[in-house]
Amino acid sequence: MKNSNPPPHSRTTSIVPERSITGRTLMLLIAIMTFLSCVTLGGVVLVQKSAIAWSSDVGRQLTIQIRPVEGEVMESNLRTALSLARATPGVARASILSLDDSKSLLEPWLGADLDFSALSIPRLVIIELSDPREADLAQLRRNLEAIRGASLDTHSAWRRQLNVMAGTVVVSGLLVLALIVTATVLAIIFATRGTMASNRAIVDVLHFIGASNRFIAGEFQDRFLAIGLRGGIVGGLAALAFFFAASLAVGNVLPDASGAQLGILFGRFSLGWDGMLAIATLVPIIAGLTAITSRMTVRSFLRQIS
Amino acid sequence: MIQFQDVGLRYGDGPEILSDLSFTIAPGSFHFLTGPSGAGKTSLLRLLLLSLRATRGQITMFGENVRRLNQDRLLQMRRHIGIVFQEFRLLDHLTTFENVALPLRVLGQPEAEYADNVRELLEWVGLGDRMEAHPPVLSGGEKQRAAIARAVIGRPDILLADEPTGNVDPELSERLVHLFAELNRMGTTIVIATHELPLLDKFKYPHMVLSDGRLIINEK
Repeated sequence: MKNSNPPPHSRTTSIVPERSITGRTLMLLIAIMTFLSCVTLGGVVLVQKSAIAWSSDVGRQLTIQIRPVEGEVMESNLRTALSLARATPGVARASILSLDDSKSLLEPWLGADLDFSALSIPRLVIIELSDPREADLAQLRRNLEAIRGASLDTHSAWRRQLNVMAGTVVVSGLLVLALIVTATVLAIIFATRGTMASNRAIVDVLHFIGASNRFIAGEFQDRFLAIGLRGGIVGGLAALAFFFAASLAVGNVLPDASGAQLGILFGRFSLGWDGMLAIATLVPIIAGLTAITSRMTVRSFLRQIS
Repeated sequence: MIQFQDVGLRYGDGPEILSDLSFTIAPGSFHFLTGPSGAGKTSLLRLLLLSLRATRGQITMFGENVRRLNQDRLLQMRRHIGIVFQEFRLLDHLTTFENVALPLRVLGQPEAEYADNVRELLEWVGLGDRMEAHPPVLSGGEKQRAAIARAVIGRPDILLADEPTGNVDPELSERLVHLFAELNRMGTTIVIATHELPLLDKFKYPHMVLSDGRLIINEK
């Protein structure tokens, strides 16, 4: 009675059909949601990195402004301020902004043809700190009180504004990310219920032959985990390709000036290893989320029909 | 093995479709369940399959009152019952081998453990050369034999069949009933729901006749 030539039996087929319209639609949806999540997360990483870089750069630079005061010799006051700056601990470099450089700074507002010699414009001493934490700015401020018309600008108001703006962008990005994830979960719930309804005959047969709800849920969860992983990888790779293409575009396609401006705003538009790691982490998270959400939906569906 | 005592069944607030059913199915017995369409044969089979709960009365299976069974015990008990449907209910994307092996797979048995038994059973029902075929390419008779093999692969104590010969020709119907008789001789309790009178006449097994929701047993 025993079969002497057993048929070649390769691998065990999944109990839940692998190819279905619902499965393909869900995979596409997860790929799109992963792409949006990764782009949002990447944007947040870029803005945060840029904000840290801006804050660090601005925090290292100080300016002593000397306003023209009647009876005071500007050049002398500038030299005194320069000496005081250089004598302050934590200062790496200090230099007087030349009259020509000052004119260049004002040109965009006052025009190139204006005769600056007729104007009494404030002069600047530019200070670069080696380490903002070591610099004794209180002492420098006290010392500058001896020069009439001198004031120290630490750009703290700018830094605060930059930090607030960057923080707002980061929080908004994370909020958008949370909304995308919520939308993904809802879409998975609907897709899972659709899949369960279209596979109701299979669920019934499994029930009749003595399969537990746990077994059935596990079968569907495996199927959805595979869909989530596939969709997540496609979306994540598309997002990485997007950032790669964007960094190439900033570097090569845009004119030098525009590229430089974007470079100032977003660094080199490069995510870096930590940014790519964040995107790579998002892929298994979305796949896991798909599996968990579908398992809960399947268990709830099975409880209803049992 | 199975005892019904004053069992009644209604769906929702509708009329009672099974009333005052009282009977016993002994271990190793063979019964035909018959009656006109709409008499409640499928509902009675679903009560026997534990996929419906009686509205009233008491059902005792394998010595336990089924009303008191929790979900886990119900599941364990269902594994002692095999079921064959008129419309086969094979999974089209699985091969004949995989369909038949399904009850063992859901129990978590590895394929290496059950493969020989499944092949042996498929040989026995005459499907030895159709193991790798998918249901859409099987004939009606082949599908029904695969469905029977699936129902008995887990060695159930009782086998229920709902119009198993409804989609096959008379000659094959007889061969299928012979198959059920062979299983019965090996110790499986059989209940076959059918309204095919020639079969009832040919095979001298007791008839459970349902009419207007009430049951009469004709011992042959």
